Amino acid sequence: MKAFITLLYRQIKRFMRAKSRVIGAFVNPLLWLVFFGLGWSKVFNFPMAKQIFGGSDYLSFLAPGIVSMAIFSSSFISGISVLWDKEFGFLKEILVAPCSRKEAIMGRIVGDSLTSVLQGAIILLMTFTIAHSLKISGIPYVILLGFILAGSFVSVGVILALKMTSMEGFQMIMSFLMLPLLFLSGAFYPIDTMPAWMQALSRINPLTYAVDGSRYFLLGTSKFAITTDIGILLLLTFLFAGVAVYMFERTTID
Amino acid sequence: MDIISVKNLVKKFEDVTAVDNISFTVKKGEIFAFLGPNGAGKTTTIHILTTLLKPTEGTAIVAGHDVREDSAEIRKRIGIVFQDSSLDRELTAYENMYIHGKIYNVDGRDLRKRIEDLLKFVELGKFKNKVVKNFSGGMIRRLEIARALLHRPEILFLDEPTLGLDPQTRAHIWEYIKNMKEEHEMTIFLTTHYMDEAEQLAERIGIIDHGKIIAEGSPEELKKRIGKDVIYLRFSDKTENCMETELVKNCKILPDGRMELGVENAAEALPRIFEAAMKKGQKIMEVSYHSPTLNDVFLYLTGRAIREERGNKLDVMKNRRKRWGR
Ligand SMILES: Nc1ncnc2c1ncn2[C@@H]1O[C@H](COP(=O)(O)OP(=O)(O)OP(=O)(O)O)[C@@H](O)[C@H]1O
Ligand SMILES: [Mg+2]
Repeated sequence: MKAFITLLYRQIKRFMRAKSRVIGAFVNPLLWLVFFGLGWSKVFNFPMAKQIFGGSDYLSFLAPGIVSMAIFSSSFISGISVLWDKEFGFLKEILVAPCSRKEAIMGRIVGDSLTSVLQGAIILLMTFTIAHSLKISGIPYVILLGFILAGSFVSVGVILALKMTSMEGFQMIMSFLMLPLLFLSGAFYPIDTMPAWMQALSRINPLTYAVDGSRYFLLGTSKFAITTDIGILLLLTFLFAGVAVYMFERTTID
Repeated sequence: MDIISVKNLVKKFEDVTAVDNISFTVKKGEIFAFLGPNGAGKTTTIHILTTLLKPTEGTAIVAGHDVREDSAEIRKRIGIVFQDSSLDRELTAYENMYIHGKIYNVDGRDLRKRIEDLLKFVELGKFKNKVVKNFSGGMIRRLEIARALLHRPEILFLDEPTLGLDPQTRAHIWEYIKNMKEEHEMTIFLTTHYMDEAEQLAERIGIIDHGKIIAEGSPEELKKRIGKDVIYLRFSDKTENCMETELVKNCKILPDGRMELGVENAAEALPRIFEAAMKKGQKIMEVSYHSPTLNDVFLYLTGRAIREERGNKLDVMKNRRKRWGR
């Protein structure tokens, strides 16, 4: 358990130290919620609009999406930052240590998931000030769901970072993976209104189920059954974490 | 007792043979240095001995365990300071030490006390709560040494411990290394391409070049190979033939045209050498002599000097690239 707890401790320490990154993590989702959300909410202010958004106003529709987005980006980026450990050498310190690598990487994944969910939870509370038809009772469930979501994307980040050989790959992933995943998640507009090919893609996007599940808990309506959302998300998290552990156990220098 | 024993070790990367069939042993409690130029295979050897790379061929026994089979046992018994820093730059000196202690199973009050003592030992006590990001190169090196000592390893590996540091800082770090050996009765395996460092610290040196160990012994033994003094002569006409005079122990024509002579005592030998040259009708243009350094040994063995670049990492990288370019 020692390596697990130690790496968890390290991720949390690092998180608390990096003030600018923490502030950035809050600013971005809030900008989306305020400017994007408030902007469009007036456009969608006609009688039929509520029907499109599953019975709620646009801001309330958007809010669960923004919370998932915040957790998604923060967890994905923390996972990928294993690349920094490669670059700045800390990875070697772990690789040469007589500790269980499985525990070490799991500690890291859980630590990053916790910090990501913490950010998500704060965003969630803030959305309540703007979006008015959210259910307070949904908060703990959304946080739990967010934790599963975070676990899955920290793992994906770790996997990509272990595969990558240079920092250049990072920018590519940001634009070719993160943005499409966001647009295909149903966070900004309902999946049902997307063209068929986009719908197909969004069904294989883990983020879709986190957004949908959060809507279930906060609005009471969702596209998929909540058991489907949770089931798929859990499955993916175990799968990705498993792959991350497998790869980390086999990592060598260079 | 041999605490490290390496036999016919080979490491190949796709197209390069980084370590080319080397064998050597390190005795318990000694300071052993690998001295060699950039790209000689020093780091690769350290990575194999510290279980981070698998050898292509050959065997290596470290602290009684085979690197191929018992990496977990070896890892418990060694400490390493990598060529490039492996600290967490976002954390403080104390936090870096603390994390290391935890993953190496040092606990509680014992851990806190060891951290305090070691930080004091490397004179970083005042900086224990400062974030590593702001440390100088020398401070980073010292912290890494302190961290590597935290779990009291039997063998300490130091990969170019003073690379890119200024002379005062280097002398300082040599002090720590010597003290460390005294206080902890540790075996130290270090690599360097600085002659003075090998000479200052090592009881035994392996000179490594192009993945091969080309000479091994104590600094004195190695220097004795050339003679007590070395004389350099430059003649007006290029000579191909070495000078065979009684006091000359060995003689060699260097690539730059100078003649290198190993003698017992330069003051005695020089008049004889001048005489011999006059008899042959050779005109001497330039004379110099000094007691041999490891640099002379390297020059003698390979025909070229180990570059004494004190450069920063960037220069080293540039040199590497140049080397690869060829
Ligand atoms: N992962 C790798 N893949 C391919 N070649 C490598 C790898 N690591 C080292 N080499 C090559 O192996 C040779 C030995 O490298 P090594 O790093 O062991 O040298 P070194 O003696 O430590 O040199 P330096 O003083 O530059 O640190 C070099 O030619 C290097 O280019
Ligand atoms: Mg090296």
